[in-house]
Amino acid sequence: MKKPITIKKAFYPVLFCLVLGLFIFFYPLTAFSGESGLLPRIKNATQKIEQKHQFEASIPTLKQIVQVNMKDQGGTFFTQARKSEISRFKCSTCHNNKPVTSDNAARISHADIQVVHGNKETLLTCNTCHSDADRDFLKAGEQTKIDFDHVYDMCGQCHFRQKKDWIGGAHGKRVTYWAGERVVKNCTSCHNPHSPRFEKQWPKTYSVPLK
Amino acid sequence: MAQNIFCSAKIDKEDLMDSEKLKKMNRRAFLKGTATAAIAGGAAVTTGCKGKGLLGSSEAFALEFQEYFKNHYRLMTQKERENTVSRLERLARLRQHIDLDIDTTGPSDAVLYGYAFNVTRCEGFMECVQACVKENNLDRKSNTQYIRIFEMEHGQMSPDQGNGKYFHMVPRQGHFYMGVQCFQCDNPPCVKACPTKATWKEPDGIVVVDYDWCIGCRYCMAACPYWGRRFNWNQPEIPKAEITRKQHYLGNRQRVRGMMEKCTFCIQRTRKGKLPACAEACPTGARVFGNLLDPDSEIRFVLENKKVYRLKEDLGTEPKFWYFID
Repeated sequence: MKKPITIKKAFYPVLFCLVLGLFIFFYPLTAFSGESGLLPRIKNATQKIEQKHQFEASIPTLKQIVQVNMKDQGGTFFTQARKSEISRFKCSTCHNNKPVTSDNAARISHADIQVVHGNKETLLTCNTCHSDADRDFLKAGEQTKIDFDHVYDMCGQCHFRQKKDWIGGAHGKRVTYWAGERVVKNCTSCHNPHSPRFEKQWPKTYSVPLK
Repeated sequence: MAQNIFCSAKIDKEDLMDSEKLKKMNRRAFLKGTATAAIAGGAAVTTGCKGKGLLGSSEAFALEFQEYFKNHYRLMTQKERENTVSRLERLARLRQHIDLDIDTTGPSDAVLYGYAFNVTRCEGFMECVQACVKENNLDRKSNTQYIRIFEMEHGQMSPDQGNGKYFHMVPRQGHFYMGVQCFQCDNPPCVKACPTKATWKEPDGIVVVDYDWCIGCRYCMAACPYWGRRFNWNQPEIPKAEITRKQHYLGNRQRVRGMMEKCTFCIQRTRKGKLPACAEACPTGARVFGNLLDPDSEIRFVLENKKVYRLKEDLGTEPKFWYFID
């Protein structure tokens, strides 16, 4: 006949002390359970932060910006205007189906523009982007007109991955401030639309070896 | 000195009373009193004689003398911080004839700075390095730079294998460029190594140095696995016209020989809401900077949507600097 295992009452305090001791011994390990690490801290920070007021005093209102007609993860955002950068805007002051009477017509024609954009399969000409019907606009297809300020809509037709990154913030960059209202550079702030690839150049400085 | 007082106390009864008082005074208080007396005396002596002596203007000497007795930055009260800042500004006025604007802006709530670097976009133009040197008043003589850009061949992973001293037309075919600077670790080994607690992590995640508390032992330099720290082997030399006047006590204020310094994410700019100088200067948009605790920030977008990695992640230093590819 088997005898059931019994613990004598005298051992109860010993057991209690043992359990308590183990608990105290292993308690510090909870510090490494990942609750307080950097990545969990970032992951847990899902609450929207109203940061605008924190840095408001030091951030001036940036000029020559337009609101982007899409939303990023934080709502509306702004981008640099383009029309104010084009020195001879509006285009229709010359391109208006009237004879050109200017003396320096040869100089102000766009002969200096070289299109280094697209490849053999997708040849780009002026009228791929510029609207023939309304010279003050870009075009998407035959019907849709695109404002010069919202040129990202134009570029985004082919470069949709870059556009997606640009809306989120992985492509392009913000203007001067990381805080406050989000103002980012437009496509044409960095890229020349007629030859968008950055040219090779010399580094601005050099590094001496550390050791 | 105490011995003398004690001896004379035996002779005179009144002096005995004094020595009793002195006994009650503990050593710390006594030293503190002596130091205060020395400062007051020094200041009185030096400001007393007008005009220029051997050590330049006497006012500058007095200010410098008082600078020796200031506290660790974290132990200073707001008043003491204001005092030392005004002293430093006045000293720059007297010694170099320039008007500085040193601020002591503290960290903001719910801000943790983070950085992301796009290795696909960087083309090695090094405009960030140039902007950093100018913004942070780095020594032009020894060519100190916080940022290093490595030219790497496709397939290379660590900047150890890259070429950090290229000088030719960039970008070069078949190469990519990788920028390295202080990563502002969340678990910084340099802070643990410092024997004088002259370097510490601020609540917004920036690891800073109190230049006046640093003894120049370079333990932190040895502890950093990313070669993120720089030592001033000589007195930094900056052309007067190029000195950045807007400074921060923990950031780009002028250093002297024998002190450690490091990238502070341009603390003087970022705490005012501006981008660091490198991120602003970058012509290709390879540098993303923002608040890690803000779910709408660009850096969070990068972390959540891009392939990111950190350098030497296995060391557990938790750098707040991610590399990502398009």
